Amino acid sequence: MAFDSTKLSGLSLQVHTQLTASLRLLRDRLLPRMADATGRLLRLFAPAPTTTEDDAHFLPNFCRGRAIGGIVLIAELLAIVITLVTRRISVSLFQDLLLVSLFVQWIALSGAATLCMARRFLDKLPNSRALGFTYLLLLMVVLVVSEAAVWVLWLSGVITSPRPEWYAYFHIQNFTVAAIINALTLRYFLARHQLRQRTLSEARAKIEVLRSRIRPHFLFNTMNIIASLIRSAPDKAETAVVDMADLFRTMLGDSENLVPVSNEIAIAKKYLDIEALRLDNRLRVDWNVGKFPRKAVMPVLVLQPLLENAIQHGIEPIPTGGVISVRLREENDIIHIQVTNPLPRLRSKSAATPLPSEHTLDNLRLRLESHYGDAARFEITQEPERFSVAVEIPIRGGNP
Amino acid sequence: MRVLIVDDEKLARDRLRELLNEIGGHVVVGEGMNGNEAVEKAAELNPDVVLMDIRMPGMDGLEAAMHLMGMENPPMVIFTTAYDQHALHAFEVNAVDYLLKPIRKDRLAAALDKAKKLTLQQLQEINQAQETPQARTHISVHLRGNIRLVPVQDILYFMADSKYVTVRTTSEEHLIEDSLINLEKEFGEKVFLRIHRNALVATDYIKGIEKSTTGNWQVALSGLEKKLDVSRRHAAAVRRWARR
Repeated sequence: MAFDSTKLSGLSLQVHTQLTASLRLLRDRLLPRMADATGRLLRLFAPAPTTTEDDAHFLPNFCRGRAIGGIVLIAELLAIVITLVTRRISVSLFQDLLLVSLFVQWIALSGAATLCMARRFLDKLPNSRALGFTYLLLLMVVLVVSEAAVWVLWLSGVITSPRPEWYAYFHIQNFTVAAIINALTLRYFLARHQLRQRTLSEARAKIEVLRSRIRPHFLFNTMNIIASLIRSAPDKAETAVVDMADLFRTMLGDSENLVPVSNEIAIAKKYLDIEALRLDNRLRVDWNVGKFPRKAVMPVLVLQPLLENAIQHGIEPIPTGGVISVRLREENDIIHIQVTNPLPRLRSKSAATPLPSEHTLDNLRLRLESHYGDAARFEITQEPERFSVAVEIPIRGGNP
Repeated sequence: MRVLIVDDEKLARDRLRELLNEIGGHVVVGEGMNGNEAVEKAAELNPDVVLMDIRMPGMDGLEAAMHLMGMENPPMVIFTTAYDQHALHAFEVNAVDYLLKPIRKDRLAAALDKAKKLTLQQLQEINQAQETPQARTHISVHLRGNIRLVPVQDILYFMADSKYVTVRTTSEEHLIEDSLINLEKEFGEKVFLRIHRNALVATDYIKGIEKSTTGNWQVALSGLEKKLDVSRRHAAAVRRWARR
């Protein structure tokens, strides 16, 4: 690969420019393509990456002691395997192992050093290409070290010519073993990286769900209100703290839980009590709850998000507030829930009219879908000054 | 200092009032529940400082502060908020002070000590930094040192002459110092449609587009006898709007 510049200077100028042009072509077009193709090949059976951006750094940092320690260990295990399966090259098995280890460690440590130096360059590349380049680099290291090993043997007088009869076999053998071992190792690193990414994005999604449930705006405003109440009405403050605790305990719990309908109504009422402290007489709720059989259960936190949405988009934006109407009844083993709220008067045609659905309702709809499949109904009705959500779910909790 | 407290939550106002009492040296001159009341009461009571919640129904705190900046002697404004990630970053960037709820007594005292006057530019930059920059809900009109808020939804049209812009509502007419270009940019053509070099009309009030006896296009607005001329340059755009 490396062209000696002294040889180049001897050539005519024309050849020189042609060479630099083809070198540039090699560098800018062929090498990246080769790397891409290699990378793709290596990824062939890898699971599809869950994230596209955060994908870099799939390789451990080979400039660090821990990674080098791992490499040395793997190389030594490989050396043992090679020693056991190949024919004797010296007087004793132990000496064989020593020689093979020396050679394999030499390759492994040179590879680690190369990757350590190339790290900054590799980090800037897209993942597939970085993978391909890493692979090609490592194979190159094997070629160079193998050649160097032959030279060391020749210079130290062990062999008589720099081209012994086993020369070609030696190179092919080393190259093939390295190609396989490197491919396996890189695939392992890639898989480990993807697993780590997936765990990370799952954790992020969980935090996101929690944040959408516990609205920070609600939390901090309520804390402020409680701080105010502690002075003026300590008993009210106490009730508010206890209600908050119950509400948060439910929110932090498992959203797959099924609870009796009466429990869901109780937690919704606690939530409304807290909101009533903030919104005062702006929040008026018209409850209309029918009779439910004792066995009636529903997923936890279905009613509360509906009320939260109604308050957020129907009561808070209206200076004088309004009435939220809540209807719950049971009919033919179906639980019917309907929450209706007023909407603020907006310019009818103004562009930035936010639709009051957003995350809260989307999340709820998805949850009901995954829980009940087609058996649940979720319907939004929007009129100019009224917004209504109707939910129908089977009384027995469906198939969780 | 004379303080005006503006928050839509009564208990939040109570808390500020009590904390101010404890700190001492300040008088609460009034309370407001939303941006409109903030502007009206500030014009009436001339407070030194307005403690104002950002999120309020009707007119929010940011817009109210912008209207206050039009006063002859605008008060200092300290914003309070429970949680507004985007807004707060903009506040930091523009060096505008704010208090986080639950409000701490020492932070309130410190904020009052170093309160300074805001500029309209600071507020506009904060508004621009929001996820969705809000158009004003009201236009403030200055009448002999007093501020009058005209709801945008009541406006029929803006008409420019050499120096001022006339705001026409169903019942009244005011002069404001603004430019049609700014207004057009702020509200967009869905709300106000340009029909002439010197006129923006509220799309909600357009009753019809007709040809006059002289062959020019005119816009008829509900609640207004007079018809407004459409200039030749804008005729195509107006007819395109009407066809939608």
